[in-house]
Amino acid sequence: MASGTERRFSWRGRPTTARDGETILEALAHDGLPSVVRSPRYHRPRGPLCGVGQCTGCLVRVNGRPNVRACRQVVASGDVVENGNAWPSPRFDLLGVLDTAFPSGIDTLHGFRRPAFLTGLYQRVVRRLSGYSGPPSPEAARALASAPDVRTATTVIVGAGPAGRAAARALVDAGERPLVVDRGLRVPEVPGAELLARSTATFLPPPSADGGWAFSLVGFTEPARGFAIRARRVIVATGGYDAALWFGGADRPGVVTADGALALTPAPGAGPLRRAVVFGGGDRAATTIDRLHESVVAVVAPGEIRPEVVRRASDLGVPLYPRTLLRSVTGRRRVRSVRLESRGGGAPFHVECDSVVLAHRRLPHPQLFFQAGARMRWRGGAGAYFPELTDAGATSVPGLFAAGTVAGVVGDDVATSGERAAKAALGAPFDGPAPRWIPADGPAELEGYYRELLGGPRPGRWVACPCEDVLVAEIEEAHRAGYRGVEVVKRYTGVGTGLCQGRYCLPETLLTLARLEGRTPPEVGYITQRPPVHPTPLAALAALREEFAGEPAP
Amino acid sequence: MTFARGDYRVVVVGAGIVGLFTAYHLARAGAGPILVVDRGFLSNGGSGRNGGGVRQQWETRSTIRLAREAVADYRRFSSEFGYNIWFRQGGYLFLADTPTELARLQRVHAIVRAEGLPSEILDADGVAARLDGLAPGAVVGGSYLRSDGTLYPFPAVWGVYEAVRRLGVEVALGVDCRAIVVRDGRVAGVATSDGTVATPTVVNAAGGWSGEVSRAAGLEVPNVASRHEILATEPSKPFLDPMVVRASDGLYFSQTMRGEIVGGVTVPHPPGTARGVPSSPRFLTGMAGALVGLLPRLGALGVLRAWTGFYDDTPDGLPIVGADPRLAGFVHANGFGGHGFMLAPAATRRVAAAVLGEAVDLDPAEFSPGRFLGPAAPTTVERLQLG
Ligand SMILES: Cc1cc2nc3c(=O)[nH]c(=O)nc-3n(C[C@H](O)[C@H](O)[C@H](O)COP(=O)(O)OP(=O)(O)OC[C@H]3O[C@@H](n4cnc5c(N)ncnc54)[C@H](O)[C@@H]3O)c2cc1C
Ligand code: FES
Repeated sequence: MASGTERRFSWRGRPTTARDGETILEALAHDGLPSVVRSPRYHRPRGPLCGVGQCTGCLVRVNGRPNVRACRQVVASGDVVENGNAWPSPRFDLLGVLDTAFPSGIDTLHGFRRPAFLTGLYQRVVRRLSGYSGPPSPEAARALASAPDVRTATTVIVGAGPAGRAAARALVDAGERPLVVDRGLRVPEVPGAELLARSTATFLPPPSADGGWAFSLVGFTEPARGFAIRARRVIVATGGYDAALWFGGADRPGVVTADGALALTPAPGAGPLRRAVVFGGGDRAATTIDRLHESVVAVVAPGEIRPEVVRRASDLGVPLYPRTLLRSVTGRRRVRSVRLESRGGGAPFHVECDSVVLAHRRLPHPQLFFQAGARMRWRGGAGAYFPELTDAGATSVPGLFAAGTVAGVVGDDVATSGERAAKAALGAPFDGPAPRWIPADGPAELEGYYRELLGGPRPGRWVACPCEDVLVAEIEEAHRAGYRGVEVVKRYTGVGTGLCQGRYCLPETLLTLARLEGRTPPEVGYITQRPPVHPTPLAALAALREEFAGEPAP
Repeated sequence: MTFARGDYRVVVVGAGIVGLFTAYHLARAGAGPILVVDRGFLSNGGSGRNGGGVRQQWETRSTIRLAREAVADYRRFSSEFGYNIWFRQGGYLFLADTPTELARLQRVHAIVRAEGLPSEILDADGVAARLDGLAPGAVVGGSYLRSDGTLYPFPAVWGVYEAVRRLGVEVALGVDCRAIVVRDGRVAGVATSDGTVATPTVVNAAGGWSGEVSRAAGLEVPNVASRHEILATEPSKPFLDPMVVRASDGLYFSQTMRGEIVGGVTVPHPPGTARGVPSSPRFLTGMAGALVGLLPRLGALGVLRAWTGFYDDTPDGLPIVGADPRLAGFVHANGFGGHGFMLAPAATRRVAAAVLGEAVDLDPAEFSPGRFLGPAAPTTVERLQLG
């Protein structure tokens, strides 16, 4: 991936080098796992969690632009990269005392009210503490301004993973030239199709009724070029991501999702994760072990461990802990060990490590379906929402199709579902096998896991929402105070309102509220999926103003 | 859910900030058993979707007075209700982009001053001094009142909700008010999705749906629900103190305590609540254009989320507060447009008084439901609307 010339940039005033094509995060990871930001409320050290531009674990300020994800920004020569909210540095941050000074949390809902004459001071201080970095500089904004990219395409495919590529291939075979949009930084060409890479589709409003270019897909190409694609048909193949997990210290640097581990590990056994505990017993754990290889020290799973994982672990000679609770991690600036317990009341024991890789649960990216007004259904087998689909892959919105992980098909059916969706889009018959759906009912395996885990002791800080530093206890407190449903608990605690758009907190919140309220997760509700799917630069949207100015308001 | 009793002294329809504050004043006055019903969850209406702005700069003196009283209420809120609403008086900065607009602000300024509030008129430099990074030539001047500000709507809702429950008010969530039972020409009860309860008094505090509730009682009212969109950006450290507004296109935005820029701009939508609440590209791109045109540095911030809600508009821009002369026992607490949150604590004192049959210190020509019933249109009009 990275090769050839070097790029010089500055990180916190120090000259630093990156190989051509590397991201800021990859460049900083040459010296070990980077911790570039502190958490917003307690100023806890944070590290990259996801590696795919969805969390708040790698936020930096680049050339005066705040909230830049270091894992998404390819280094350019001369870049000035600063940390945001830590002083004097992310490593030694004086405000880190807030973490120890408020062991049971900072309560901004009820606190800071007395004495009344201090109100103004409290407001100034709390305000100053908010945000991950300084305000945007005028120069940063000027550098981002660019002409909009407005196009038309008969078929747009969002996502160039296996399903999206299969769909594209099928359309190309039928003589079409689809437009494929993908937010990846290194997306291989799709033969015969047009590719818009490094491009995030963030908004797909319901189609206009008057046919023609019924869909308007809005988004931006890195860093901030706005695009609007008018299309007749849209195939959404946005795939999925690895979920977070609640335990004590789950927000520590060194806790990463499988996505993050793959992003941080350029070659088998290389990279900053040297002694990793892999959490998960299925496909994703197997993939992760293949990449981390010698760096794996143990495999822990909430339930049973599948044979392919067992085989890999025994090849590497690492221990396996099936049906085990991950209760907490130790370590402050970096994970030092995990505390585990066999389920059903086993005694706690520790495994030393420098990282925990969460590979237990993969969730879909269904936001575009919600936005477009497609009917959605809960699939308990995955513990997530998927569009309601015909066997052919059509959603309830004419012209909108789903393929791959977001379609709700089981693992090995992902590529086939791409072809199926393309055929459905073309109105052509598909003679392949019928789809194998993720089961609609049955409680997600994790419900029982959390029941047991949260019923036990809670060593360390239990952060439910890392973006906003909302604690698990605050969610429980909202419930105790009589607030019901995820929409209300979100508004009460702030869970799910941060930069990850709820990806790393709401799925766990939903399971927890279902347990507390004695209802099923879909009864507890799901947060309205508000646009945009990812934070979208105002510069990109502003450039599209003329394009939409004349449009009748819906 | 079944109700705790079969009859109530008052049933309030809508558990938004208006309905809850109404119940609060009534309960404090010892009105008797009170039931509040809401078909949604707490804060699902405008009270959970607004910009948190609180201003006293208005064209009509009566609105200024209510807003001023509400500012005092919100200053006390945190100690009275136990929830910190972070009411921050960073001022409202009105921008004029043309001399005509500035002349209008000067007229407003004169009225605000006459009410004893120290608003200021600023020239372009004066505006630039309060708005770091202002685009050159974007404004010709503005007006500013320091004691205006912003608050967090949610904790205000929680605070009043818990207070009314402590006072014995029953709040039934997920309960739809379907019809008003009328007997002998007066209110006798409320038919809900969970059964019928008897009551001599109904308060219509249904926000954007209040027109529907009044019409269900057979009352023709001029309320119109209009959809309004709003967005929030990623947070950053504070750089913007006042709420910034521009009446010419309805633009408003402020930086919250959490560091997000939150605001909206006028985009015409067809009236009514029928189409639900999705956002539109026209708003997102139009709002982005307005923000970046005014403060170019904002271009480097990302939009984090966008949502919509309903204003409950009236023809004269003033709320409808008081007993309906056509149906005894039917009391209005609606028509608050885009400023019901800021007026709620003060306006609902008058609602409670009307329920209890006490004298109300509001000019009936400006606030009573009867003002729309005569042949002539109301003469006082509040035009300084945003969003
Ligand atoms: C985008 C936006 C920005 C705004 N910005 C501001 C601002 O900065 N400052 C400000 O002061 N105001 C602002 N407002 C206006 C403000 O939000 C409203 O005026 C205020 O919240 C109205 O409160 P309410 O209690 O009357 O209505 P709501 O909060 O809407 O509550 C009405 C309730 O009635 C319920 N209901 C409706 N029909 C029925 C029925 N038949 N049976 C049972 N329940 C029913 C609904 O579920 C709802 O919960 C804004 C509004 C919007 C939409
Ligand atoms: S690690 Fe970069 S956003 Fe998650």
